[in-house]
Amino acid sequence: MLGLGEGEAGSIVPQHLQRRIKRVSVVVVALAVAIFVTIPVYVMVAVAVQDPTNVFAGGDVHLLIDSVTLRNFEVLFEETATVRYFTNSLIVTISSTILSTSLAVAAGYGLTRFDFTGKTVAARAVLFSYMFSPIVLAIPLYVIFYTLGLLDSYFALTLGLTAISAPFTIWLMWQYFQTVPIALEESAWVRGASRTRTVWDVVLPVARPGYISAAIFSFAVAWNDFTMSRVVMSSDEMYTITVGASLFLDRVTIGWGETMAVSLLICIPPFLIAVFLQNYLLQGFNVGGLE
Amino acid sequence: MSTSTLRRPFADLDERRLLLWLTFLPLVVFFTLVWAIPILYALGMSLFEDPTTAPTFVGLGNYAAILTSGDFGLFLWNSVLYAVSTTVFSLIIGLALALVVNQEIRGGSILRTMMIFPYLLPTLVVIFIWQFLFDPNIGVINQWLVDYGVVSEPIAFFSTVEWAMPAVAITSVWKFGSFAFFILLARLQAIDPNLYERARVEGASPWQSFRDITVPHLRGAILIILLVRGIWMFNKFDIIYLSTGGGPLDATTTLPIRVYELAFSEVNFGAATALAGIMFFLLAGVAVVYFKVFEPEKEVAH
Repeated sequence: MLGLGEGEAGSIVPQHLQRRIKRVSVVVVALAVAIFVTIPVYVMVAVAVQDPTNVFAGGDVHLLIDSVTLRNFEVLFEETATVRYFTNSLIVTISSTILSTSLAVAAGYGLTRFDFTGKTVAARAVLFSYMFSPIVLAIPLYVIFYTLGLLDSYFALTLGLTAISAPFTIWLMWQYFQTVPIALEESAWVRGASRTRTVWDVVLPVARPGYISAAIFSFAVAWNDFTMSRVVMSSDEMYTITVGASLFLDRVTIGWGETMAVSLLICIPPFLIAVFLQNYLLQGFNVGGLE
Repeated sequence: MSTSTLRRPFADLDERRLLLWLTFLPLVVFFTLVWAIPILYALGMSLFEDPTTAPTFVGLGNYAAILTSGDFGLFLWNSVLYAVSTTVFSLIIGLALALVVNQEIRGGSILRTMMIFPYLLPTLVVIFIWQFLFDPNIGVINQWLVDYGVVSEPIAFFSTVEWAMPAVAITSVWKFGSFAFFILLARLQAIDPNLYERARVEGASPWQSFRDITVPHLRGAILIILLVRGIWMFNKFDIIYLSTGGGPLDATTTLPIRVYELAFSEVNFGAATALAGIMFFLLAGVAVVYFKVFEPEKEVAH
């Protein structure tokens, strides 16, 4: 603790002035960030829920919401395969979430409770793959899936998405299980429970916050993914919503109104997560960050 | 937890072994299938010309061709510029806001919640929004810039050579800035408040408390953010591909974009996997530093 305890002022700026500067800068930073974060989201909503003729009337874009219409959503559902894309996204996202989370729970438990040589290597491999570029992985996966005739399938994309999310979910569960005292399990064994039974009745309930975080993370990765889906899914009816919607801007019939409407729809699942599961989400950050 | 009536289906030793298999087998199988085999396969492919159609062994020829090609330097520079600028700005903004929210100001928890939103919006949505905001004809940003006389003509941010990279970087910082914020905020909240109280009683100014208490506690987190966030941004594909596609005139072509172009536009999987291999070795180099400095695996391998 440099300089503390010597009672020195240490600066030519008087203390009360320093505190005032601090208070003002706190408010300024808070406001600036609030505006920086909110305005783009507001713009999306404003364009999505209003009629384009209203938003784009005259020269300047009109962004005050004074009339709400579902017109953009109707055009979206009538003229595009949005529903189909959403269904595809939901299928691969849910499959990948289940696969990634179960892998992580099993591996996390095993890595915590059993000792074996090469554990450090395993830890490094998991962490290294966590930092790996999805596009670099997607290229060989594409060639392999192509050779096996698996391109354009839910199965292939589920594997690809899980490959991206699993390193972190495994890491997260590995760390999480270490906070679960072994004594909890031992007391169940002493009372005659089998090891497998103990895992089911004691370990899993205690680990619930851990695997909810893992599930949120893998859901978010799969839902947000563009790269893997772009590479693995090549026919229009297999596109996920991110790939399908990314092509909207090139179409003449789809304007900004519909584009923002689809954006709003894509945001619904993450929004629900944020509202209901915020604390689990933050727990994920604390363990080592989300990508 | 009334488990006392349960019978053991296996003797303890066998059951231990069973659990060991149950927990490790999926991990080993999965990692072999989707990580080890593809990466080895890619490294193998990188040694061939036309590896997918008419493979001819060329050794390190693909690597040599990439490293000596005139534009490799540009793509590497773009990658580094993108990674460094987005990481540093995310860190600055995240740090400023983490310090603010940690003051427990009114509305701090609302700010914290708001910070999750850019992070949760899928990349595609973020790109749509910023393309709209930056649009030269209807974009609000250009309208403001023109109205307030900052520029005389609207700027086509994503399609102008000088502006494409800054525009992509701003978009990226908007989305990923909160990563640094949440990590730093967690660190700040772990600092014992008594330290500040003692410093205040002993007459330390806010600046001195910051320098002598806050900064040392954040140092490790800042290093991690710089390294890990830097690696991720270096690897980022979707945000650039969706906003500029690497253009205009390669102004935003980073190595991941180039890998994709080589594979799917030029259908040259030899070159694509060789470039992926170069990225792999660059990343491995940084990872070695990361493992040496932080020993992150020590956290779990007691």
